[in-house]
Amino acid sequence: MMRARLANVAALVVMPFLLVGVINRVKSLWSGRKGPPIFQLAYDVRRLLRKSPVYSTTTTLVFRIAPYVLLVTSIGSATVAPLLGSTPLAAFPFDFVWFAYLWGLGRVAIMLAALDTGSAFEGMGAAREATFSTLIEPALFLVAGALCLLSGTHTLHEALAPHLQGGAAVVVRTAAIVALMIVLQVETARMPIDDPSTHLELTMVHEVMVLDHSGSDLAAIQVGSAIKFLVGSSIVATLLNPWAGSSTVHAGIMNLALTIAIAIVIGTVESVIARLKLRTVPQYIGVALVSGIVALLATGWRVGGAQ
Amino acid sequence: MKMTLLFSLPVLCLGAALALGLRSNRASAAAAIISQAVATVLVLASVVPLLRGSGPLEVTWQWPQPIDRMAFRIDALDAFFLAWSLPMTLLGTIYAFGYLRPYFNRGRHGGPHFALLNLISISFLLIFSAQHALVFLLGWEIAVVAAWLLIIWDYRNQKVRFAGFNYLVSTHVGLFVLVAAFMLLHSKTNSMDFRTFGEFLAQQSPMRGTIFLLLGVAFALKSGFFPFHTWLPRAHSAAPAHVSALLSGVISTSVGLFGFLRFTLLMVRPDEWMGWTVLAFGTLSAFFGVLYSSTQRDLKRLLGYSSTENVGIAAMGFGMGYLGWTWGVPALAVCGFAGGLLHILNHAFFKCLLFYAAGSVYRATHTIDLERLGGLAKRLPRTAILFLVGGLAISGLPPLNGFISEFMIYSGLLSGRSPSSQGNVVLIATAAVFAFVGAVSALSMTRAFGLAFLGSPREPGLQVAEEAPGFMLGPMVLHALGAITLGLAPEVGFGLTRAVLKLFPIVGSTNVDLAPLGNVVWACRLLAALLLAAGVVGWRQGRRARRSVTWGCGYTAASSRMQYTGSSFAEHFARIFDSFLPTVRRERLPDELFPQHPGYLATHHVDAVERRMFEVLGQGEEFVAQASDRIPERPRFAFAAGLIALIAIGVLVFGGSGR
Repeated sequence: MMRARLANVAALVVMPFLLVGVINRVKSLWSGRKGPPIFQLAYDVRRLLRKSPVYSTTTTLVFRIAPYVLLVTSIGSATVAPLLGSTPLAAFPFDFVWFAYLWGLGRVAIMLAALDTGSAFEGMGAAREATFSTLIEPALFLVAGALCLLSGTHTLHEALAPHLQGGAAVVVRTAAIVALMIVLQVETARMPIDDPSTHLELTMVHEVMVLDHSGSDLAAIQVGSAIKFLVGSSIVATLLNPWAGSSTVHAGIMNLALTIAIAIVIGTVESVIARLKLRTVPQYIGVALVSGIVALLATGWRVGGAQ
Repeated sequence: MKMTLLFSLPVLCLGAALALGLRSNRASAAAAIISQAVATVLVLASVVPLLRGSGPLEVTWQWPQPIDRMAFRIDALDAFFLAWSLPMTLLGTIYAFGYLRPYFNRGRHGGPHFALLNLISISFLLIFSAQHALVFLLGWEIAVVAAWLLIIWDYRNQKVRFAGFNYLVSTHVGLFVLVAAFMLLHSKTNSMDFRTFGEFLAQQSPMRGTIFLLLGVAFALKSGFFPFHTWLPRAHSAAPAHVSALLSGVISTSVGLFGFLRFTLLMVRPDEWMGWTVLAFGTLSAFFGVLYSSTQRDLKRLLGYSSTENVGIAAMGFGMGYLGWTWGVPALAVCGFAGGLLHILNHAFFKCLLFYAAGSVYRATHTIDLERLGGLAKRLPRTAILFLVGGLAISGLPPLNGFISEFMIYSGLLSGRSPSSQGNVVLIATAAVFAFVGAVSALSMTRAFGLAFLGSPREPGLQVAEEAPGFMLGPMVLHALGAITLGLAPEVGFGLTRAVLKLFPIVGSTNVDLAPLGNVVWACRLLAALLLAAGVVGWRQGRRARRSVTWGCGYTAASSRMQYTGSSFAEHFARIFDSFLPTVRRERLPDELFPQHPGYLATHHVDAVERRMFEVLGQGEEFVAQASDRIPERPRFAFAAGLIALIAIGVLVFGGSGR
């Protein structure tokens, strides 16, 4: 038990940096570059921590607190996420509600910080982020509710573990994976919703909100976002993991490997396709919603059939 | 000790009389505040034992005909509502003294206003203790008329008078429906006593469903449920801040939902369709309420719509409780009713806080138009922090109180405890809508706080007076502390609801414990500690940091007019939901290469229900006008219409007496 916890903590410390490095490496390889070191984010964070932040004269305390709120909420969400495919650091009934609302709190903090700068661009980013998040939240709850109903459990890691066999269960899990992948893309500001490496502010969503952050604040935001990515991808990985639910070594390693595989997929997607037009993003998120509904209906059918 | 409550009525009446009679505003306010404080202590002394689980208080007065016997009875449900509605009215009265002072300085006499606030407390005493339909209606009517007179404080403004009239008409439509329901009950039981009503309602009969629907409509109009909400945003935006706060947090919400629960309890065991109806209405209200609140530019209108959302959330809880009741699943009933009740209480805390903060903004800037405000956090720092607490709580974000009640309702919706899989699927789908509501609510509050308090003023010439005085800040601080306490120590809130839950037969003797909430409470406390640490880190960093201007993305002539505005913030979202959010667009765009005239563009999001209602009313008026124009031309029409009316009256008179 103690060892599993230590492994979870180790994953929480190392993996965020690794995943960001993997995505960037994949993108570099696709574009024919050698790319930065895998742990470049760690070097960046070290550099940023040495710098003192600069604050706009327009801003208030909200702007200064927000990065740390994001960091705290990301770490908090990581404690209930099955990073190794089995029991997380903390688990309680309906922890996924807590999880979703924690992300919500972090998002609100960053949006408020963006509005605090009084910059039109940052306000624009906040408005976009807020709009997309309203659409993604129901998809998350549809999937989580369906998986809970299917497995008859109430905690995130138990609901994700493979409990049942049969056609309907496969449909539910596939739909859930599709929906959660889109949730991951939206929440962590990845293609095709958002282009993290763009240089034109008008096309940004997440990046534009943090334009004014600097020094250790920026480091907190970068680490927080990386942890969010780890959490989201480890949830999808647990759904894919055939040994999920057992706290064995091979289940854990499988989960980590799958998490890295998801990072490779995300990096590849980001290299080969362009960002969607903003007007079409809601339709793309609609795919997640529809998948969520499919998962729920299939679950209802499966559970109803079992009686 | 138990009956001290009875003395609160004369105390409040005396206070109202003194407030009316005394010449100076200070003395009037003191009379109202002191009498309310005494009444609050008296009421709390008798209701607290009830919430601890002691038996109900009963008083019966013999009365001459036609009232006969008038019974008052206070059980745990009444105690729950009394325990916080009177103290909150007291806080509102204290706030009123600070808020209205600029008017007093200009020579306005506030005596009647304070007397009316006392009347509101009196109406609570009547409504929450009545066992007799006429007493209930009396209390209801006192609340309505007093609230109307409170709303039109600024009666010289035509808009305010219209909003007040709109409120008066809407609530009286509700009153007609309520009277109709009581008349039906009277015709069946030949009594006006709630206990006799209960004996009738406990039996299955077709009339029961009709009465349920009539009562539902009456209470829905009172609480501002969609689609009966149209009076609500108008009234809230026109009334003085403390009246909006009391109206939204205490008067309409609590009275409407209280009435609903009171008659639910009389029904002993509701039907399943009733549960689905309540759930559907609650979900609709939450959905549309939050949708409308996300696009408003008037801060108080925005908060008014958010009331519709929050009563919807409470009704979702109650609907689920009903379903758990009819299915015989106590756990679901506990989650639903406890979550719903707690949400009403939580809503009272954060909604009043938000309205008070909006009032403080209005007092300082003389506007609550989000398109003109901005950067107030620097000028009104205390108001800003208090508004932020309220905004985070109302968005249901941890670790504040809104999260706890919403979590409770989620834990029922997602529990999968329905006996049928269809039931479970619908409940989970409802949870998904609820998640949407939560996210939009966060958008709406981020927008409200971010635009009003952060950035820089959108209107450069905006005059900002000094921070609100202590009389206004005090009640706000207490409300904020309440929101924080109920979030970090939900035992307190649940302690209040426990005795109420025992009243429901389905819960009855089952042990009401908060085991499912146990861990999330600790998670909330831990989060609060960490957030506090984050705050300290941010604050320390800010002291030694360098200062510069906001990065203008390469553009150096940025002005505060270029900031994102309320309309632009909501534009992307509103476009997705444009079928529900009709936009009125007024524009004159610049033309030619060198425009001679400055262009402008204004967008307003109007209430679809209200617009449709006025359209229908307008069409009806037109129809009636046309018909009445034709009658003199054709005497046969007039003759036929008169005959039909006569026959109808005859049937009603003679048919009724024959039974």
